[in-house]
Amino acid sequence: MDVLHNLFLGFSVIFEPYNIFFCFIGVFIGTLIGVLPGIGPVGAMSLLLPATYKVSPLASLVMLAGIYYGAQYGGSTTSVLVNIPGEASSVVTCLDGYQMARQGRGGAALGIAAFGSFIAGTFSLVALMLIAPPLASIALQFGPPEYFGLMCLGLTILIYLASGSIIRAIMMAALGVMLGCVGQDLETGSTRFVFGVPELLDGIGLAPFVMGLFGVSEVLLNIEQRLKLGKVHEGKIKGLLPNWQDWKDSIMPILRGSIFGFFLGILPGGGAVISSFVSYAVEKKVSKHPERFGKGAIEGVAGPESANNAASGGAFIPLLTLGIPSNVVMALLLGALMIHGITPGPLFIANNPDIFWGVIASMYIGNVMLLVLNLPLIGLWVQVLKVPYKILFPLILLFCVIGAYSINSSTFDIAVMVVFGVLGYLMRKYKFECAPMVLAFVLGPMFEKSLRLSLLLSDGSFLIFFTRPIAAAGMIATFLMLGSCVIPSLRKKREEIPMDEER
Amino acid sequence: MLTHYRLGSIIWLAVGIYVAISSYRLGFGSFTQPGPGFIFVLMALLLMVLSAIDLGATFIRKEKAGKENPGDILWSGVRWQKVLLLIAGLSVYISVFNFLGFLCSTFLLMLFLFKVDEPTRWWVAILESFITILFSYGLFGLWLKVSFPQGILGF
Repeated sequence: MDVLHNLFLGFSVIFEPYNIFFCFIGVFIGTLIGVLPGIGPVGAMSLLLPATYKVSPLASLVMLAGIYYGAQYGGSTTSVLVNIPGEASSVVTCLDGYQMARQGRGGAALGIAAFGSFIAGTFSLVALMLIAPPLASIALQFGPPEYFGLMCLGLTILIYLASGSIIRAIMMAALGVMLGCVGQDLETGSTRFVFGVPELLDGIGLAPFVMGLFGVSEVLLNIEQRLKLGKVHEGKIKGLLPNWQDWKDSIMPILRGSIFGFFLGILPGGGAVISSFVSYAVEKKVSKHPERFGKGAIEGVAGPESANNAASGGAFIPLLTLGIPSNVVMALLLGALMIHGITPGPLFIANNPDIFWGVIASMYIGNVMLLVLNLPLIGLWVQVLKVPYKILFPLILLFCVIGAYSINSSTFDIAVMVVFGVLGYLMRKYKFECAPMVLAFVLGPMFEKSLRLSLLLSDGSFLIFFTRPIAAAGMIATFLMLGSCVIPSLRKKREEIPMDEER
Repeated sequence: MLTHYRLGSIIWLAVGIYVAISSYRLGFGSFTQPGPGFIFVLMALLLMVLSAIDLGATFIRKEKAGKENPGDILWSGVRWQKVLLLIAGLSVYISVFNFLGFLCSTFLLMLFLFKVDEPTRWWVAILESFITILFSYGLFGLWLKVSFPQGILGF
């Protein structure tokens, strides 16, 4: 009954016109971003992060969350119609979705993607609603060593799943921790790597940092390579409502995708990309006709599209219950909450029931909005696909510039953004991953605090991380994972896992 | 000859050494009483060790492959000049932003951006820049109340 009562509270909050407006803005921008290649949800969220400073914490969280799951919806459109994934999590949708479009069944592919996403999104919300509150009460017993162990594990999983060299991924995580700790030391008050710049006393701003790494650097990379879209599917898209046979073929893949996606989404470092690939592999494995996959099998669209949406819901669990973001998107949400003075963690749900349940309720509403946005308005999104990049990139840069400036009304933040934009561009060219650096940047202060407190508690002994069960589990898993990279056969397996730079 | 990849590792090694020395001076403290430079020293040491390993790996890779490192071809066949132009444009924009004010400097930036990628007619670029400025000022300046600098021209 408590859950129902709280859900009612959430709906009463979210149905205020102000909040519902931001929910719509979020899912609308999310769909737009998902459709447009060249900018992902991380870039879009970082662009809009400064805009959330002036709105309530709930509205900002609702909007940013809407961008995230909206992008998963929108990403399928470009995969099916142009064979270019709008998002990395929609890469696998290209395989069968585009083939369906070529056979004149693009409408059914888009329809089942939207319905599958809706069902999976709703499933993950119910699971989030049921799992998060009890998990938060368990997390109340966590101390600094437990947090340190879990943060090490989260960072290591992200590093493990980073594409390319694992050594370079760890290097970037170390750099991220250092950058995150720049500014005043909260214990002693001494300044660290401020170089006499007063703007750095409070540390490097999250918004200019991520806008540079993901927004500006993306533009620089695309300009360098002259980003061009493929041929957009011409002609009217019809038959968006899947027929009886489509439903029969898709319902089990949708259910399996929802379950896989949700649980993979909870794992730190896991998320939409991996879950979509896992779902595709599973569907191909269990299918009686695996030879149809890659040639327009609707199961190859339904499963992955459901999985990537369910993963978006699952990813909220570690953030809202432990205060530990599981991926870069969640790190941005953490940043948005902290800007408003709210620290996610075990007490978050108890102290901010209106925000937690408001966000949950907004996702229900957002999923319905997405269904409306994605099915009847499909023609509009096809037109958006035709916007040339030479028009798009100046607008992206303008949003970045205004966004960075508006935080403190300071050109210093624009300069920080450009510096990290250039750094991000060079890093991506030289195969250094940005994702571990951003997650480490956000976790940096927490990481330092929990390490220092743990050592104070243990009188300088690192054994404290191995004598407490949860901390020990985190640390052992961390070492096992890092150790596995040295074993050639396991290293090869790691290289086969699908990767996403914006994880 | 140093390859591009090797240069990357050397830069990170140098960063690690610099941060390690500077943060040790900040105060490492001890394991029982960590100081403000504690985390920086640990992370810088990690960065140094790993960049040294990464640097060593580039030598092994070169020996194995016996040919040019892929890093050497990173800059060929791409429009890196456009990237430099864009960075220069943004740098100039930052330096004149307060002096010229938001409307004037951003109009010039937009004009530059609309022209830099592909040839566009001047009147089209001017019109696009004008519309963009109008929309962005309306949204951020008037609606979201972001206080932009007015500059010497007073607008």
